[in-house]
Amino acid sequence: MKNVYRTAAFAAFFTAGALAARAESLTLYCSADEAWCQQIARGFEEKTGITVDMTRKSSGETYAQVRAEASNPKGDVWWGGTGDPHLQAAEEDLSEAYVSPMRSELYDWAIKQAEAANDKTIGVYSGALGFGYNKDLLAKNGLPEPKCWADLIKPEYKGHIQMANPNSSGTAYTMLATIVQLMGEDAGFDYMKALHKNINQYTKSGSAPIKAAGLGETTIGIVFMHDAVAQTAAGFPIVTVAPCEGTGYEIGSMSIIKDARNPDSAKQFYDWALTAEMQGKAKDVKSFQLPSNKSAEVSELTPDLSTITLIDYDFKKYGSSDERKRLLQKWDTDVSSLPQ
Amino acid sequence: MAEIKSNAASVEFRGVTKIYGRSKVPAVNDISLHIEAGKLVTLLGPSGCGKTTTLRMIAGLEMATSGQILIGGADVTRLPATDRDVSMVFQSYALFPHMTVDENVRYGLRFSGFPKKEVIERARAGLELVGLSGYGDRLPSQLSGGQQQRVAVARALVLEPQVLLFDEPLSNLDAKLRRHVREEIRDIQQKLGLTVVYVTHDQEEALAVSDRIIVMNNAVIAQDGTPRDLYDAPANAFVADFIGEANIFPCTIESIENGVASVRLGALTISLPGRGGSTPGPAKLAVRPGRIVLHPAGAADTLPGTIQKATYVGSHLEFMIETEFGEAFVTAPDVDAPFKAGQTVGLGFPPRGPVLIGN
Amino acid sequence: MSVTKRTPSLHPTLVLWATVGLVGYCLLPWYGLRDNFFTFSWLLDGWPLKGSVAPALFLVLQGEKLWLAPIGILLLVPFFLWGRKKTDPLFGSLLIAVGVVGLAWFLLQGFGIGLRGFSWEWLKAIFGDLKIRQFGMGWGAVLVGTALLFLLTLGLAARGAVGGDEFVVGSIGFVIATVGLFIFMPILQMLASALVTQDGDYSLSVFFQKLFSDRLWGIGCLTGGPRCGVAWNSLFLAVLVGVITTLLGLVFALMVTRTGFRYGAVLRALTVLPIITPPFVIGLAIILLFGLSGFFTQAFAELFGVQPTRWVYGLPGLLIAQTLAFTPIAFLVMIGVVEGVSPSMEEAAQTLRANRWQTFVTVSLPLMRPGLANAFLLGFIESMADFGNPLVLGGNFDVLSTEIFFAIVGAQYDQAQAAILALVLLFFTLGAFYAQRFWLGKKSYTTVSGKGDAGVHPHLPPAFRNTVYGVAGFWTIFTLIIYVTIFYASFVKLWGVDFTLTVDHYVKAFAVSWNEFGLHWRGSAWSSFWTTMEIALISAPLTAGIGLITAYLLVRQDFAGKQAFEFGTMLSFAIPGTVIGVSYVIAFNVPPIELTGTGIILVLSFIFRNMPVGVRAGVASMSQIDRSLDESSLTLGANSWQTFRKVILPLLRPAILAALVYSFVRAMTAISAVIFLVSAQYDMSTSYIVGRVENNEYGIAIAYSAVLIAVMLAVIGIMQLIVGSRDIGRRREDGNLSQSRTNVDLPGRGQPALTGGG
Repeated sequence: MKNVYRTAAFAAFFTAGALAARAESLTLYCSADEAWCQQIARGFEEKTGITVDMTRKSSGETYAQVRAEASNPKGDVWWGGTGDPHLQAAEEDLSEAYVSPMRSELYDWAIKQAEAANDKTIGVYSGALGFGYNKDLLAKNGLPEPKCWADLIKPEYKGHIQMANPNSSGTAYTMLATIVQLMGEDAGFDYMKALHKNINQYTKSGSAPIKAAGLGETTIGIVFMHDAVAQTAAGFPIVTVAPCEGTGYEIGSMSIIKDARNPDSAKQFYDWALTAEMQGKAKDVKSFQLPSNKSAEVSELTPDLSTITLIDYDFKKYGSSDERKRLLQKWDTDVSSLPQ
Repeated sequence: MAEIKSNAASVEFRGVTKIYGRSKVPAVNDISLHIEAGKLVTLLGPSGCGKTTTLRMIAGLEMATSGQILIGGADVTRLPATDRDVSMVFQSYALFPHMTVDENVRYGLRFSGFPKKEVIERARAGLELVGLSGYGDRLPSQLSGGQQQRVAVARALVLEPQVLLFDEPLSNLDAKLRRHVREEIRDIQQKLGLTVVYVTHDQEEALAVSDRIIVMNNAVIAQDGTPRDLYDAPANAFVADFIGEANIFPCTIESIENGVASVRLGALTISLPGRGGSTPGPAKLAVRPGRIVLHPAGAADTLPGTIQKATYVGSHLEFMIETEFGEAFVTAPDVDAPFKAGQTVGLGFPPRGPVLIGN
Repeated sequence: MSVTKRTPSLHPTLVLWATVGLVGYCLLPWYGLRDNFFTFSWLLDGWPLKGSVAPALFLVLQGEKLWLAPIGILLLVPFFLWGRKKTDPLFGSLLIAVGVVGLAWFLLQGFGIGLRGFSWEWLKAIFGDLKIRQFGMGWGAVLVGTALLFLLTLGLAARGAVGGDEFVVGSIGFVIATVGLFIFMPILQMLASALVTQDGDYSLSVFFQKLFSDRLWGIGCLTGGPRCGVAWNSLFLAVLVGVITTLLGLVFALMVTRTGFRYGAVLRALTVLPIITPPFVIGLAIILLFGLSGFFTQAFAELFGVQPTRWVYGLPGLLIAQTLAFTPIAFLVMIGVVEGVSPSMEEAAQTLRANRWQTFVTVSLPLMRPGLANAFLLGFIESMADFGNPLVLGGNFDVLSTEIFFAIVGAQYDQAQAAILALVLLFFTLGAFYAQRFWLGKKSYTTVSGKGDAGVHPHLPPAFRNTVYGVAGFWTIFTLIIYVTIFYASFVKLWGVDFTLTVDHYVKAFAVSWNEFGLHWRGSAWSSFWTTMEIALISAPLTAGIGLITAYLLVRQDFAGKQAFEFGTMLSFAIPGTVIGVSYVIAFNVPPIELTGTGIILVLSFIFRNMPVGVRAGVASMSQIDRSLDESSLTLGANSWQTFRKVILPLLRPAILAALVYSFVRAMTAISAVIFLVSAQYDMSTSYIVGRVENNEYGIAIAYSAVLIAVMLAVIGIMQLIVGSRDIGRRREDGNLSQSRTNVDLPGRGQPALTGGG
């Protein structure tokens, strides 16, 4: 009797194994927000029947992982996340050059990103830095609406502003770099010191401040504008502000990992991820970044980059690890150690 | 029809020592002994004397630190319990509580490569031997203490071991049952001609069941002999005192001639059979309380003493008597003897009474 | 005996392991595969000749990886023992030689030759640059390594180690090897990597600079600065949490046992809840209730007309959340100890004219010392390792565990920094571990002798009792509010904005639909849910297994170095999950053991993280099984494996159940180690929930947690059925049996085992 069971179990095992072996698969490293990543993974599965193993990690972490796995890559495609680490990966030859037939449909900034990296990465979305506030709380506390970076250092906002810690969050680093580029380094750091007095918490993750604002746990959060808009779309009383002085931005990118195990699936995904159809769906999961495909449908909530004053963000300089280390060190010693 | 037979074999220890862990004191110290096939030999001694360790070394549950152990002439010193042809009945019986009586008895047979049919047959025969046929489906918890005991015996017997070991098997039974079970054990042993090694600290039990008794004390053998030897001729003060009760008197051996020793005890001179190793000089004399005869004070060949206490205990009288060698304990079968506390008496030593012992 | 055991010409155990080794060497792929081994796709993928799937034998025959050749030759050596008995001195000596040489060579080549040829400079210096590289070891290598290990232990057994028992020596060898490989090696590797600078050099000065940085040890908060060092924060919080949870645990235990409180069962049920609650959920509920816009904060502010504040962020919130989460663990430890104090001790004190209060203070409390120490240690370690609550509630009060996480995960990606922080964390927990042992000293606190104890525990003095009721009542109501909030929040559309009831969150997470490719698990939670179930169900029996084997060795066997062995196996108890996570990432990311991104690494982390609990449960119940039961089995001719299998295991059901349930629950709810080890294919529920929380999708996070709680309760029930169903009637009867002192308690009382580090 026992043997019958054993045989049956073996048979089941092998059948399952054979089935699993036949299915095509794709390993996706996704550095955007979970819902968006899920939508993409499931969307690709439904479209092609290729099983997608998706993991969501921050872009810094994914970069580290890709680098660690370089000799034995486990991922196929890396989608999303701010452009710096993608550029860095391209520079270190961790990603594969690929020119997609979809390129003609993209905005110039997306192609510029690709050209900067010898086609080893490409822009998939873009978003500008800004801040958002909880209008209910603002009213309740009788505070004026903040319009500019300069407003945020006014003493009446003391204890009402949240931003991420630039040591752990790329968003906050982008903000630090933006302020430095906008005001010059000395004035920029003076500004950060003044802002420090008004901050109630430096969060670990980049989008946490606006989420806290949504829940009413802080009044103002410094984040990417699309993150703030997402909170509004989710139903929270959040108003998004594009700072009047101008602001920095990020280009969310995508790369195919070098020596990927499923290169064909990876290219199939890459092309698909640049279609207007796919990019137009981002708004369904409340992602309000600007898609790189010109004809992709956008939500009316999506911040229109053409109406925002954007600085000429120097990705090369401020993306380099030396400059980054220097600025962070300076921020650590000059700003964060001050009493609040 | 399966029948339980015996494969009795001898057991031999050659200079065996056991030291536990990092302990400095040996639990068993350089013991040599030989147990003939088909005999029931008891290891007797106070707790901590090493008797259980000795038993467990026969079983293979403890490994000798040095020396050699042979069963049936084969060296088994390094063999673990599993590989020795020895069964053991534990003090707690160690019946597996999650198995029925049948399963318990069949347990060892299953691991010995018997065909299934024979396993069942033998288990049945084993239970029949101990008078528990029909109890096979019960759980140990549904049996009385005596019945559990017998299951444990059956479980050990069905393997027809070369040696059967008992570790204080009766200590969990009440007094009445104890006598009954011990007789049963002896019956089975004699019927089948088993080699049995039996550990107990109860000297009466030992005297009753054994062909031979090995008395142990402080990790060594104090004396090895038949029950009668041990009682009548203890080799030393320890044995004399441990087996029954004994009065120990210091004495002097004056001379030994033709195996007869002339011993001086105070003013008295007594002739006794000398024992190996006795030499002229100071020695000790052991006398059982019942082997001292009380005489009126001043009678010839008596040791003077004063009765401190006289107690009537029904079947006999007990006296505590102060002598020049300390207190002596004496029993007199004659409950009407005319001795009272405070009286002076003479202690008489009839032949076959006192025994010379080593120090 | 009429049937003598047949003696084969070659020892069967030897044949078994030599064969296993040869199968591993000649048939299975030597290196790790890209695909799951068990799909057997490698059979069609160029096996046995293609380098990536070839067995060692074929590699060597093709002239590749020639350093594998000696291993194959060594595996053949045991067959020269044909016809020799185990007692033959040559038998043992030869096997020992094969094992030692084989394992040494095996490890040497594994660690010495890596992805970039030789891993060590001195090898390069001697042999020059090696152009060939090798990947992580695969199943072939695993089998060969195992075979060499067991051939070695067989040899040692033949030479008389531990009474010549193959099973016992083998088990000891196995436990030592696995604990060494999966606890000590990762920790050591982590230590080494803490010395590596970001440029890849070793530097002590950088190490010390990081180790003693102000960020860690600053005492600014005492001198008016903005904040204190992270290490001090962690330590302070952990000590507070340890003390508070221990006191609360004691209060509950006293209430259940010494006040005539009749609803003990309800209280016990309530205490299980926080243990099976996924991380974050409690923290989240606390924000919903006490945050700036939280229900209670707002109500308080309106009532007294004051400005609502963010008071809950930082120490206060952490303290509340951790106290809530870890008190049940302290309770489960304390209840065992409080019940364990023999009533006759207390009765003796009372007859010696001590009043109830004096009895409690002078007799009961000192006897509870081991429990107090254990409960404190658990609370301390749990708090140190806690990751979820600080992330949600920490505010600007940074603690080590989150710092470690962001050192690896954040924008900075500094493995060395993470390793250094982890070392500090480890230093604290091991310090507490030692302090506990020191405090308990060598005194004996055992009062239950196994003999019937007819007395009853005295009741507490009335004033004290009322305090106990008050504290417990408050805590109970508080817990209930938290859980009602959690339950309610999972059905609310958008907390704080839109309170309409909805099942959207459940649908979003757990929807199922059909599409052209078949059943489609559309809900976003399915993938992580199935992975979690799979990993948890695989690791639970393995954890219980290795735990019980270890317990068996500790309780039933004597061997040289047993104390060190015990310490080693219990060590992981004091290692926080965060440290395990970091050290695994560091140690198992590169050959020879390349496990990151697999499910195996998750399973391993759970096994070695939760093993001490299996050991404790096993030790506790095994010491209550009379030793003569196994001895009688041995003298009846069963070997120690058969004895373990047929006698001990069946009697250990309560311990098995406790270990199974515990490791299952931990695998479902643990986060601190998991967060570092999840990957694309193997995402776990808890890390998924982290993602949801990070994204403000509290509805889904909470709904998912509610589902997990329900699933865990169901699985625990099923386990109870499977493990406990047979013989329950019998075991009850055994309870009345004075002769057999086996542990026959129902699993409920095995629950003190349900405790352990986070």
